[in-house]
Amino acid sequence: MENTERLKKEIAVPAEGRFSPEIFRRRGYAAAKDDTVFCRRAKGLAELFAGPEPFLYQNDRIAGSIRPVFINASEKEQKDAVKWAARFPERDFLHNGDHFAPDYHTAVRLGLPGLLARIGEAEQTHENDPPALDYLNSMKITLLALRERLVKYAEKAAALNGEPGYHPENLRFIRENCAAVAERAPRTFAEGLQLVWMIHSCFVSEGKYAMALGRIDQYLYPLFQRDLADGMIDKAAATEMLANAFAKIGEVKLCTGGDDVVNICIGGVDAEGNCAVNELSYCVLEAVNDVHLPGPNLSARIAPDSPEAFLDACLRVIGTGLGYPALMNDRVNMAALRRFGYDEADVRDYCMVGCIENFLPGRQPPWTDGRFDPIRYLEDVLFRTCAVSPDAAPTIDAFMALYERRLAEGAMEYVERMNDLSRVTVPETRTSPFMSCFCDCCIERGRDINMGGAKYPAAHGAALMGIGTVSDSLAAIEQVVFEEKQITLTELADALKKNFKGCESLRERLLAAPKYGNNRAAADKYAVWYVQYLSDLFDRLKNHDGGPVYTAMAANVSNIYAGAGLGATPDGRLAGQPLSDAASPTYGRDTRGVTATLLSLSRPDYTRCACGTVVNQKFSPSVFAESKRKKLGQLIRVYFDRGGQEIQINSTSREVLQDAMDHPERYPSLVVRVSGFSALYVMLPREVQTDILHRTQHEAV
Amino acid sequence: MLNVSCIQRFSIGDGPGIRTTVFLKGCNLRCPWCHNPENLSPSPQTLSYPRIGKTVSYGVWMETEQIVREVMEDEPFYRADGGGVTLSGGEPMLQPEGAAKLALALKERDVPLLIDTAGSVPWSAFERMAGLAQMYYYDIKTADAALYRGVIGAAPGLVVGNLRRLIANGEVVHARVPLIPGFNLTEPDCAGIVGLLRDAGVKYVDLLPFHRLGSGKYATMGLDYPYRDTLPPTEAAVERFAEIFRRDFTVTIE
Repeated sequence: MENTERLKKEIAVPAEGRFSPEIFRRRGYAAAKDDTVFCRRAKGLAELFAGPEPFLYQNDRIAGSIRPVFINASEKEQKDAVKWAARFPERDFLHNGDHFAPDYHTAVRLGLPGLLARIGEAEQTHENDPPALDYLNSMKITLLALRERLVKYAEKAAALNGEPGYHPENLRFIRENCAAVAERAPRTFAEGLQLVWMIHSCFVSEGKYAMALGRIDQYLYPLFQRDLADGMIDKAAATEMLANAFAKIGEVKLCTGGDDVVNICIGGVDAEGNCAVNELSYCVLEAVNDVHLPGPNLSARIAPDSPEAFLDACLRVIGTGLGYPALMNDRVNMAALRRFGYDEADVRDYCMVGCIENFLPGRQPPWTDGRFDPIRYLEDVLFRTCAVSPDAAPTIDAFMALYERRLAEGAMEYVERMNDLSRVTVPETRTSPFMSCFCDCCIERGRDINMGGAKYPAAHGAALMGIGTVSDSLAAIEQVVFEEKQITLTELADALKKNFKGCESLRERLLAAPKYGNNRAAADKYAVWYVQYLSDLFDRLKNHDGGPVYTAMAANVSNIYAGAGLGATPDGRLAGQPLSDAASPTYGRDTRGVTATLLSLSRPDYTRCACGTVVNQKFSPSVFAESKRKKLGQLIRVYFDRGGQEIQINSTSREVLQDAMDHPERYPSLVVRVSGFSALYVMLPREVQTDILHRTQHEAV
Repeated sequence: MLNVSCIQRFSIGDGPGIRTTVFLKGCNLRCPWCHNPENLSPSPQTLSYPRIGKTVSYGVWMETEQIVREVMEDEPFYRADGGGVTLSGGEPMLQPEGAAKLALALKERDVPLLIDTAGSVPWSAFERMAGLAQMYYYDIKTADAALYRGVIGAAPGLVVGNLRRLIANGEVVHARVPLIPGFNLTEPDCAGIVGLLRDAGVKYVDLLPFHRLGSGKYATMGLDYPYRDTLPPTEAAVERFAEIFRRDFTVTIE
């Protein structure tokens, strides 16, 4: 823990120079004049991995840093690098270049020599297939560069011995582990973690920001167990090593200023479908808690038979104010993935990439996604059809039919547009030979991960925006226009265009209509329809790789931007206000308490949302107290039993409580729970809010 | 019919498991530290909070069926681990007929009902509830009869008598002891309460440290709150008094 703190301080020191992976690539490309395109590309990577002088923090126990990629290159070299980058363009997020979970399971089991041996076998299989041989060669180049990187780190650790600030014991540990996994498969937990972290640091050196570590509590477990049995390690030591690696996830801040999105997944089930929670799951949880950075995105797969102690341990960490792990309903996620015909063992081994996107580690190309905004099509129907032809929709059913038709066109347009954006013209110049080493079938087939090497085609996620805004709007239209017949659709369209200016009483009536999230069918049925209808639409479409288009409701903060550019909506929302967030009801409109909200939220069929969904809920810190946490756990169990897919819980931090004192309008539903009493936090007088604030400070210690 | 102040879901401080608390309106005691002043009068009241532009109304007569429909929405959550419905207030036992009707309806649906009472009502009220409540949360504020009468304005005899009879009848009773600075927060006061509870045969004691979260409600209602400037007891003080109770009872600090 203290060591982790010291390491975090070292990491926070700004790096000198500019993050310059392209400079190192250029050097590799330029030095490989006579090589094939595949191999030249591999040599660019090789230079990036093994070229820079290794860097060790004084408090490193697990080595691998992106700091060496920060340099001050000459202007000429920078210009030159731009030219080379145009010849060998990188795949970015939209081009299946980031958001990947490597097959660390195989990497740890076989080690570097094992992977190289597999390439050797594949070379024999493909002896009459020159392009495959060429590609296999390019993969081998990157693996050898990884080996060189490990050797150089071992040498660096030896060279630093005696330098001020460095601990001889840490340096010995790094030297031995790096040297070992350069030559053979890992035999200890420390070696396994070192290998994985060094691979990860290669990806991050490339400039990738959302490479997942995946199910680390599973693929490192056999080594952990062996060490434990041999008395070589205990849980505290394993936790410390994990924290030492995870702390370096914060390095990405050095280049982007933002936080990294390295997803780590714990819990769930094993290949046979049995509970996979183990001692290491708890160590990972503790390590992420010790690091306490927003960087590691920890996800916990909660299966029906996951132990209560595991869920409770997750809630305890969430209650520290970290906000992680995100809790995933394993049963629903697996049912959603099963729909696409993946092998059952692969489904059971899913993890997440990025924020919450379900992913089959090392079995499909990196993830891409985009935003699909159904409320825009509702506006379209109102403004372009109903405003012009007042009789176009005499009933709510007729109106829904118009809307559905428009959505169907919209979904096709969306997928065509995304496919155009994601398609690359000359994939040969954009190969990912290193990544392909960690994806099932690429070695066997001698093909790039994005050129048919991966076991399954890429999956694209259509992030559906504003389920709350859409459901509330449709419920309001049904009630105010078709039931109460207070206005026509034409008049409604007119009022929306005017942002309700002069139509305030109409807005009041729209606001009074049923809202999603109150356990009332009148609005909830539209959320059910929304998931069902849109998932049906996207189910019929294929992405640019011939793979599926999953649906998601997890669009981060896009709801704010999408809302900013949108006029008033029939739910009474004013122009420019945010849309509802991710899969949640519209903020502040779910007024009947958290249980009612969760009952509503468990109505849609999320087994249709294979990418995943996000539901944010805030609780005051007292809910995480030892005596109350079990009840929070039960709340989540019931929500999951009923088919909820995900919940991300936040313990209201001191900062939030402070902010709520100054800006009560931002926190309309922050509840304070005390025995026999309850109140909204923002209704409390200032001195009482201060009481709670002090209490929170106390509880956080 | 019940005179309902408000219905609060996911109540986690009002009994076992996840509960819905039905707060009833009207109370016959006037404890000066009360945190629910809106529930004292049986008449409807509207509180407005201009800072956030919100008004909240308390007090509506509801049919048993209506309450049952509402609280049954959360049945799945009650089932998870011994949760249910809590009747609180105000003083719920001032509406024994409605309370018993609701209790019966919930019993038919196998949903446990907990009664949170101060006990200063005729025994007949409890008699109606016989066999219908899962548990009682029973306020014991002091063992000092003169203090009780002087500060709260009622005779304590009824409270102690009802407590003894409930326990004698085999009801599960948790004594709820508020720890109020300037009222009962001395060792002799606590020792007195311990004696009273031991004599009555109480096994479980829940200690409720004073908090002033209700002060905003007083301000909004234009009432003076005598405890406005009283600070909650420190955790160490609460722990010290809890020790006194732990010698004789299973103690929970809420």
